[in-house]
Amino acid sequence: MELDQLEMNQTLQESQPEGRTIPYLTALIGWSLPAIEACDKLNRPFVVVGPPDFKEYAEKHDITFVGWEFDRLNEGSDKLYKQLKALGAEVAVPLYEECVEWAGALNSRFREEPRLFNRSLLLRDKGMMKRKAQMAGIKVGVFEEARDKEDVKRFLKRVNDALLKVDGDKYEPIHCKPLDKAGSVGHRAIDNPADIEALTDTDFPLLMESHLDGQEFSCEVFVHNGKIQFLNITEYVKLGYSNFVPPSPSLEARRPIIRKAIEQLIEAFEIENGVIHPEYFVMPDGTLHFGEVAARVPGGHIFDLIERAYGFSAYEAQILCSDPNTTEEELRKFFPGEDEAQGYAGCLMVHPHVNFIEELNIPEELENHDFFEKHDMFTPPQGKVAERVGFGNHYGTIFFFGDDSAEITRLLVDYEKYDFYL
Amino acid sequence: MPSEVTEGKIARFSRSLTRLEEAASYAKSRYQTDVYQEANRLLETEEGLEVLYQYAHRLDDAGVFQDGPWEDASKLQAPLVAGSLQAKGLPYVIEMLSDLRMLAIAEGKMNHPKVSQEMAMDFLNEVMALNLDLLFPDASEASRIEKKENTVEAQRLFRFISQYLSSSALSETLIYEIERLTAQRPITVKRTVSMIRMAKEMLKTETSGTQAEVLEQYIASIEGPSQLSSDHSLPNDYRKQLMALSTEELRKESEALGISMRKTGLCSPQHSVLARFLSRKSPHLLPVLLQLTSKGKANLEEHAELVHQLIKVALFPSTCQSVYGLALLLERGVLSASPVMPGLRRLIELDIRPEVRSALFKTVGEGEGLTANSILLAGVISVLGQPLGVGQGLNPTCQAARGISLWAQHAPGYLLEIIPRAARDGDIDMVFEGVQIHSKDLHGGLAPDLHPELDPVSLVLVPHLDRIYSEMMSRVALRGEDGHRWVNPAFYGDWVQKGFSTVIEPITGSVTDYPGFVRLFYATHHPEYNDDYELIYPNPVGIFITNVHGKMLGFHAVSIQRIAKSPDGEYRVYFYNPNNDGSQNWGQGIESTVMDHGELPGESSLPFDEFTSRLYAFHYNPYEQGDAYAVEAENVSNVKSMALDSWGQEYTWISK
Repeated sequence: MELDQLEMNQTLQESQPEGRTIPYLTALIGWSLPAIEACDKLNRPFVVVGPPDFKEYAEKHDITFVGWEFDRLNEGSDKLYKQLKALGAEVAVPLYEECVEWAGALNSRFREEPRLFNRSLLLRDKGMMKRKAQMAGIKVGVFEEARDKEDVKRFLKRVNDALLKVDGDKYEPIHCKPLDKAGSVGHRAIDNPADIEALTDTDFPLLMESHLDGQEFSCEVFVHNGKIQFLNITEYVKLGYSNFVPPSPSLEARRPIIRKAIEQLIEAFEIENGVIHPEYFVMPDGTLHFGEVAARVPGGHIFDLIERAYGFSAYEAQILCSDPNTTEEELRKFFPGEDEAQGYAGCLMVHPHVNFIEELNIPEELENHDFFEKHDMFTPPQGKVAERVGFGNHYGTIFFFGDDSAEITRLLVDYEKYDFYL
Repeated sequence: MPSEVTEGKIARFSRSLTRLEEAASYAKSRYQTDVYQEANRLLETEEGLEVLYQYAHRLDDAGVFQDGPWEDASKLQAPLVAGSLQAKGLPYVIEMLSDLRMLAIAEGKMNHPKVSQEMAMDFLNEVMALNLDLLFPDASEASRIEKKENTVEAQRLFRFISQYLSSSALSETLIYEIERLTAQRPITVKRTVSMIRMAKEMLKTETSGTQAEVLEQYIASIEGPSQLSSDHSLPNDYRKQLMALSTEELRKESEALGISMRKTGLCSPQHSVLARFLSRKSPHLLPVLLQLTSKGKANLEEHAELVHQLIKVALFPSTCQSVYGLALLLERGVLSASPVMPGLRRLIELDIRPEVRSALFKTVGEGEGLTANSILLAGVISVLGQPLGVGQGLNPTCQAARGISLWAQHAPGYLLEIIPRAARDGDIDMVFEGVQIHSKDLHGGLAPDLHPELDPVSLVLVPHLDRIYSEMMSRVALRGEDGHRWVNPAFYGDWVQKGFSTVIEPITGSVTDYPGFVRLFYATHHPEYNDDYELIYPNPVGIFITNVHGKMLGFHAVSIQRIAKSPDGEYRVYFYNPNNDGSQNWGQGIESTVMDHGELPGESSLPFDEFTSRLYAFHYNPYEQGDAYAVEAENVSNVKSMALDSWGQEYTWISK
């Protein structure tokens, strides 16, 4: 039935006089040059909704732009909707964590489906997210929301009681993270009641989870009308520092189980269109533990790695999949087979091991390695190293590409310890 | 360490540039990094510049410079090139590429909408003239000692560019730079001397007629302007030669040295040797060496004994510049002011504090056998002879420099009072609104770590003056009015007028009644509106400093020396700028000049309206106001629009 509607829409569009293939605008929620470029390359007219600071730049380069403060909770979403509607926008694509509920709100208005907004909120509250997953029978760790330090103390104790720790044993850590921040922003592991005192009022409410062992990986799933169009698996070598695409053969072998888990997740979260970026842990026995899921562009340059390995633009894929009107045919033409990677693409995010940078030190062996693609590091003019927030502000990235996942892993492990900055 | 150009590196650069070229204008920043990286790999090699230059005509259109400080080639400034090249990382790479772009324009390999071939060539010539130490390495001691970033690569760049430049254009620029510097007759001549040394290096490789002649004259002025002094550059050697001269020969020698000194304001060590020799053996030839006018001669005759004493104590090869200072001091007749003679004599035997002594010793080379008193006295001679030659060096201490200059002009006795206070007692005190302020009790100031490249008097005084000025300003900080109103008269002395007007309303930080401010300045200073009251003492005023794009950089203190018609009949403000180089570009076509517009040595000047547009505060005599209403509305609005479009961007304007 949905397909019928689609075709109806198609004919409707074709009968419109403008003569454009797709006469409506795609609203990119968040300022991202690669996403803008992708939209441009797809020949889709678009409008960017981004922080007002980018207005000048957008005007300079003739980019249709609506300035918006995503951080400020306000009642103005109706105003934003009307503004975008007047411009002719019908699809909103979220690019950053803070943009997800805004895109949800807009899409629910565009399509007159109020629940779309609620679904997007599910992705923005890690407590709600975990509970939903648990209710759907997805395997998650033990978790709770905390409102104050007492809650954290209690949780740490209970988890370790359950692990049968006695006085004097070293505690297993629990993980605390803000309910609504991207990836590892604000994340901290606590294995000592004394660490709890370091939390401040602004850290609450937060989500606490038991520690999960096992190999961590993420998926970038391009979903259209509830169906997986392309499943990318990214192997994490060290969380926040290094990863590569596609995964090594041992993880690749689990693709069928992983696909099943994703299907379960899509159903539970009623995800229809766009990209999702869930993280899992594989236990030694092969079972999967669900970590969390986001509906935005993933960090760690994963989209770049997908493009390098498979040859398609993940940004374009996201935009295509976010639009319910994209046809099956278009999508089939767009995506390669999941087994058609041309090689392994990996990257290492470099963070200085020193507090003050004197100079940059790139070893000859690295530059001369067959797998070395490029890096983007320069000696920073100002030497003081900024404090790290989440895994966001790395100083540079080194890209590798080659046909041997073991060698890629070795490079990523070895150079993670290397002092690029002295 | 130097790697080699490989086909692979060239191909990678070429690919990255093509990708950038193909990118949409908004997405350039995504592809620029790769270009910079690949360019950097090439720059590390010997032939990399040659390779990159093959691409130089494509860089601008490809978007290599887009959305960054190097975007608009017509706004680039030659004096900033060296700094960028010595910066770490990215600025260095982009600067290199930008200079290659400029070369491509100059060579006609590409057209630029705003930069003509000639403009590009001029730019490169200026860059080269300013960076001769990199083109001719090892020429300066400083470049040897202070090892800088990217020196090898920068030298490679300059050598590369110099292949394309005509040597005559380069020496022409160099001559102009030296002329401009010497026209200002600064007390510290380190920069001038180092440029002349560069010129000498250049002459070793190429010579071209008249320019070579001019440059040789400059070289001679610091190395020995006469045959004898040039053949015998060692002071001891030269001294022996002098003894063998007949009176007539000695007169000729004195004349040669004297004329050269008066022409350039520069002295060679031989000047001091000759001055000492004459002072002892043939005092009647001193006026020839100093090239004194009748006024100077009269002064010398009147104070002959003291002058001989000064020469004996203060003029040595390493303080030779003070020979010129002495000549001007005599011309100015400073010695006739009654406190000056005892003031100078006191310095000869002054008990100088150890820390001051060591600061003074650092201004001359080791092993010269000078006393700190000699160095200080030489400095005082220079300051009294060249009051407008005082500079603030690399310190943010414009107020202190302005004070020293002002006292040297109008209150030499006072200056000679505070120098011993600072040098002997480590303290200067001033009374501010009935309260005694002692510098020794104060900390901080604007320049707690004084940069030592200063004349001896500034070295001694600035730390104290700086702290006192800061203290006075903080005492009035909360009065809701610009503190300079009270601080300037108290600090500089009673010749600062009590009337005071400022552009900025201190409480709100906004601009109120700008037209009124402009009219008042015209009515109190412009000869056509102020009832012909002449400016008697320098007027310490505050100006907004703006960069070449007219963007405000901060505040600066200068003194208006006089307002007069220039040789071509326009009214100009002649002012003292404590910056060591007074010719500056403040944007909107406002360029203060130091010569060719009727400036006295050390003065900067601007047309009256242009100067007014940068003014933010001035003093005036409330009893000497002319007709503010008579100022043409057109003048006012012209000044206002220059103000609005430059520093005015940083303020809220409440005035109409």
